[in-house]
Amino acid sequence: MANTQIHVGSSTRTVNVAAGREKLDLWICWWILPVFYTFFGLIFVLLAHVMPPPSPGLSVPQILAFFHAHATTIKIGFALLMGVIGLGSISNGLVAYQMKRMSVSPVFAYGYIATLAVGALPGCLFCAIFFLAAVLRPDRNPHLIALSYDAALLTFVGSLGCFLANYCVFAAAVLLDKNQIFPKWLGYMAVWQIVTELLAAPVFIFKKGPFAWNGAIAFYEGTVIFGIFLTCLILQVRKAIELQPADELVPD
Amino acid sequence: MLQDLAPSPPTAKAERILGDLNVWIFVLGDLVFFGAYYVIYMVYRHQETRVFLASQQHLSLIAGTLNTMILLTSSRFVALAIQAARSGDRERARRLIAYSWLLGVAFVAIKVSEWTYLISHGFTLTRNDFFMFYFMLTGVHLFHVILGLAVLVVVMRELRSPEPSRSWIIESGAVYWHMVDLLWIGIFALLYLMR
Repeated sequence: MANTQIHVGSSTRTVNVAAGREKLDLWICWWILPVFYTFFGLIFVLLAHVMPPPSPGLSVPQILAFFHAHATTIKIGFALLMGVIGLGSISNGLVAYQMKRMSVSPVFAYGYIATLAVGALPGCLFCAIFFLAAVLRPDRNPHLIALSYDAALLTFVGSLGCFLANYCVFAAAVLLDKNQIFPKWLGYMAVWQIVTELLAAPVFIFKKGPFAWNGAIAFYEGTVIFGIFLTCLILQVRKAIELQPADELVPD
Repeated sequence: MLQDLAPSPPTAKAERILGDLNVWIFVLGDLVFFGAYYVIYMVYRHQETRVFLASQQHLSLIAGTLNTMILLTSSRFVALAIQAARSGDRERARRLIAYSWLLGVAFVAIKVSEWTYLISHGFTLTRNDFFMFYFMLTGVHLFHVILGLAVLVVVMRELRSPEPSRSWIIESGAVYWHMVDLLWIGIFALLYLMR
């Protein structure tokens, strides 16, 4: 295995080029992306029944019936989530790492990580905790269980601000980048995401219709656009790793 | 410089699209998504035709028509600006883009005054399903207009730059602004005109 001197700024480092060429470290991180989102889909769709969201118009007895019917899978699903949620952070770290290879300031990468870290709380964990609290004591005051139901789904679909900022940071970085780490169209796609976040804002107002939390526009169309964006992002991160020189050192 | 904005050689010219492919992916996707909003609007309108027709009477057709004319005129200016830029008259191109920008600002001002009037008369987002769609669709479109104003500033800067102009930036900005115009025509037809 050959060692080589790499100059980064004013410092010089020695790296093992033969080992680096395999880029095994990056590929491990990349595979976490599809694995995490597969878990995410399995948990939120099949087990916890958060996606597609049940109606915001359910009566209290209907909400109790919902939790009674899905209590076991909600517990299994969100227990699983507590184990795999960290994988999402690694996925985001990989995207941020690629952003640090761009010609733009690394503050974009830091912003990307920070906004997603904050967004993960309402967009993922709060929902899990509220659902778990609701099924922990089924004999609790029914109105408190209904409150948990509302809080869980409002935070899940309505966690706008952090993700809006996240997509702005990502779009700006991709569109300003001169190193062409990601194609420009991926930056434009992030603008679609900004629009879908704006259209989800009225979930705090409507209990039925297209802008409710289970609405055709606020949820379904937004989810389709997110699915398209996420698929493209995963594939473009793969392409970026493939094109990345094995001996490239990304500044700290 | 002139040669930088001049059309490519004849063989390449036949295959060349306006702007760059990236912006077309964005524009075509956006049109599809807005198309879905229009379809969803039509479904709800079909279910509550009377409510939608009665609510529509409270919109100002004059304001809607004026805004349509404003956007169509601004699109025309943008198209003329592209022609001017291609013929090397960058100063004229920049002036035309500035006119478009001012018209865009006028659109925003009219839209905001229209909203203010409606809200002050009790026609808010929660009034009924028609006004829910009205505020959301015009709001999302307004976001596109404001983004477009930023894009036009970038185009003007590009035209002012002493360095050789990158024609794809200017053309991509024009493509985006035409899309904003097209989206508004859809909204105007569905919300203001359709009886």
